[in-house]
Amino acid sequence: MPTVAKVWIEEDCITCDACQDILPEVFEVTDDTSFIKAEVREDGSFDRNTGFSAIKNEFRSEFSELIEEAADACPVEIIKFEYEAGAEAATEEVAPAAEEAVAPVAIEAVAGADDGVLAPVMAGDRSLAIFFGSQTGNAAGLAEKTAKMAVNYGLEPTVIDMDGYDPAAFSSHKRVLIITSTWGEGEMPDNADALWNATVASNPPLSNVHFSVCAIGDTSYDEFCKAGLDWDEKFKALGATCIEDIKLCDVDFEPPWLEWAPMALSKIACVDSSGTFHEELLEAMIAFGAGEEEEADVGDFTPGQIVQADLSITMRIFRYNPIMAQSGYDTVAVALPGHASLEDALVAIKREVDGSLTFRSGSIAGQDPLTGIKANGRILPADTTRICDVVSDGDTLTIEPVPGYDVVKDLMVSYDRYDSVRAESKPWMEADPRQGERLISGAAMGTMTSAEATYLHTLADVGSLQLVNAMSDTYDVDEEYTGPGIALQRWVRSQDPRSGSAHVKQMFELMQRKGGVWDEADISSIQRHGIDGAQAADSLYAARARLLAEYKFTGRSGRLVKNYSRSVKLSGNVNETTLYRSVLGPLGLGSNIMNGVSLRMMLGFTRNGGPIMRGFQGMLVPPAGIGKIPNMFNGKVANHHEVVAIFNELDSRF
Amino acid sequence: MVKYSYYPGNVARQSSYEVEDTIQPLCKTLGIELFEIVGYNSDGGNIIKQGNKDLQLTLNARNIALAEKNGHHIITACASAQGILHEALETFRNDPIALANANTVLSKTCGITAKVDEITTSHLLHVLVDEIGLDKVEDAVINPLNMDVACYYGPHMQRAGACGGDDAWNPNYMEKLIMALGGRPVEYKSKTSSVGNPSLLSLGDSVMKMTARVLNDAKKAGAQIIVSACTQSHSNLDSYQGKAGRVANKDTNIPAVNLTEIIAFALGHFPDRFAQLKTRALLIGS
Repeated sequence: MPTVAKVWIEEDCITCDACQDILPEVFEVTDDTSFIKAEVREDGSFDRNTGFSAIKNEFRSEFSELIEEAADACPVEIIKFEYEAGAEAATEEVAPAAEEAVAPVAIEAVAGADDGVLAPVMAGDRSLAIFFGSQTGNAAGLAEKTAKMAVNYGLEPTVIDMDGYDPAAFSSHKRVLIITSTWGEGEMPDNADALWNATVASNPPLSNVHFSVCAIGDTSYDEFCKAGLDWDEKFKALGATCIEDIKLCDVDFEPPWLEWAPMALSKIACVDSSGTFHEELLEAMIAFGAGEEEEADVGDFTPGQIVQADLSITMRIFRYNPIMAQSGYDTVAVALPGHASLEDALVAIKREVDGSLTFRSGSIAGQDPLTGIKANGRILPADTTRICDVVSDGDTLTIEPVPGYDVVKDLMVSYDRYDSVRAESKPWMEADPRQGERLISGAAMGTMTSAEATYLHTLADVGSLQLVNAMSDTYDVDEEYTGPGIALQRWVRSQDPRSGSAHVKQMFELMQRKGGVWDEADISSIQRHGIDGAQAADSLYAARARLLAEYKFTGRSGRLVKNYSRSVKLSGNVNETTLYRSVLGPLGLGSNIMNGVSLRMMLGFTRNGGPIMRGFQGMLVPPAGIGKIPNMFNGKVANHHEVVAIFNELDSRF
Repeated sequence: MVKYSYYPGNVARQSSYEVEDTIQPLCKTLGIELFEIVGYNSDGGNIIKQGNKDLQLTLNARNIALAEKNGHHIITACASAQGILHEALETFRNDPIALANANTVLSKTCGITAKVDEITTSHLLHVLVDEIGLDKVEDAVINPLNMDVACYYGPHMQRAGACGGDDAWNPNYMEKLIMALGGRPVEYKSKTSSVGNPSLLSLGDSVMKMTARVLNDAKKAGAQIIVSACTQSHSNLDSYQGKAGRVANKDTNIPAVNLTEIIAFALGHFPDRFAQLKTRALLIGS
């Protein structure tokens, strides 16, 4: 069992106290960070131990295991340690001149080397030197992440701080990755400046080195990524082989780094111990690094397919502060696994960016009907919708509260409108006795067959009735409209064979009157919202057909369907003139005249200078009505008798 | 020459003759040959469907069968017609019983049947972008639009499979086309929202509010004109815009034209009408 010789704390401690809870003898959390206690250190100092002072011998075996546990428990992974020299799991390939600066990350066992096609490169020396030039810690962080990833390619990485490194030792490495930021106006970061100057002065030969550079910069500066570009040019000039083109990263550096690292590692892992690059093994190495050769199924089941494609997207999130009565959008650039849910994305932003972001969170029991949001125009449950199903890599994802409901804060809406209407509409069971069935209490009990039960479930088989309401483009402009979600429930209850006749009649009346199914201005706006929208639309059409039969085509909507259908039967086409007259009636036509609608029609606004006479013909030719249609009667389509025959065959009411 | 069976929809040869005026010359210019569907009938406008779903389906089956006799895929300039035709085709392909029922009636009444195995239906917009190519359109431009244009798609054809290669929820084909025609597309958020056209005659204020929402969003985004890919919705956007503005208490005053008109104008047809449109845009556009 190796013992820990040194432990230190890197930057960005979040003072969560986890390390102190595990090992208070070594760690003490202050207001800003965690310190290594003086009592256990050789140098007797009390700080983060960035000078890498060793732990006193008498404490090493006692605390080693707990130090490892604290490092594992650290949520931001900033507790670093180093084993005693010669210990079994310690890294062996520490660069000769970098002993003091190396952060040993390769403590995990190297991934099992493939015995098959990759055998030629997996044998022998697998060392990889990852140099970082860092001013604020970003490049150092990426270096460590790269090192962790490198293990998957059968490499043994060592992360090396450029500070104090001897350029003459560069040539001792066959595989080198450089990750560096640029400071100021194209300058090297402080920790890389001396090494750069020494390298330029000494020009060490690097003909046996394969390398690649990942450069971090800021495009708002003229000398974007200059430090990385300088290293890239210098290594090439010194004879090193560039195995993967330099990657230039802007301030949002993680997404481009994620593009660079797997490819650079795949290629550099194909360099064998003699320094020869085996390009023919690249494809196999990419698959090996991605873990595609691992057994997928464990146990007696086959897991579902997991889509892991990472997406780099821009999220625009609606914000509303009810106290200040202010609203607007926050924009955040994020990189997320595509299979994560929209709710996962919101949780991540709440955790990492703005803890005040408010939204409804789902339960663990499956889709929660209340987690709805509007994502790029679609009404969706946030908890069960994958990001990759809504947006593609590089796109913008706009998230807003669902329409039609009052916004409480940010993305959270109040469903009171739905709840109160549902209570008033009484869409629950009120049974008549069927076949003489009664409960022990004597109350009537309805019955139905399993086929009838299946049919009823199909009618309203949607995930969230609240969200079906929000799918309607009418719901948020008509406060009296009870919404398609309520209409669905009324329709189902009216079709339930257990429902009493009085209750069925009540459901019909509620659907027929103001606020009911006829207040939906365009069912197509619901129908396009996926499976739920299509199901809701089908049921609404069925409900309307039933109501037309029940109420004999009365009301404006009934007259519209009847006269539209008759118009088509009469000529094969629609005659809007007759429709206007018959559906609107004298009052409606008068309203159109008073509101200027008829005037716009006649004066050619719609024809962009077309013959105005077309508009006037509608008035001049008696008994024409007022409208865009010049002809009172359409000319009949060819073989019009076929259309009439179809009507006669399918619906003799028209 | 690309060949299509042309379905005019419910209004292009009735109340919106400007569509018929413009689609014919623009198609000639761009090498699209339109074949009449002889004897075509109304698609039912999703209004007949409210009374009898099977009746609307069978009326569409007749149009499909007639187009199949032509031997060409169907093209239309109306988003609503495209949505209805596409839905009918999808229904018949996924539900053999529905197809068999429709064909039984068709066979008895018209002596024809629909196969639906190969025929497709497309909106003019998607044919121009996916098949003709915007570079060819751009090459044919004689009078560049040089205006800020809001593109209105409506909801009817904005569903997977019905809108070509465009994104059903965040479409941009019309914006690309406008750029090819020398115009400047403006982004606004309600370009796929409904204006309630199916209920234009039966509902009052809510349809006017839906119409005003689209027009006002387009105006606020800086558009000088609004172009509609839906011939039926154009009636709301144009004839009813004054009433819509008064009901919703919003600024809705903006020239509204059909997509076929604006394409034809840019290709050099009807320069007098285009001049009048530009004058109107200058006078009342934002």
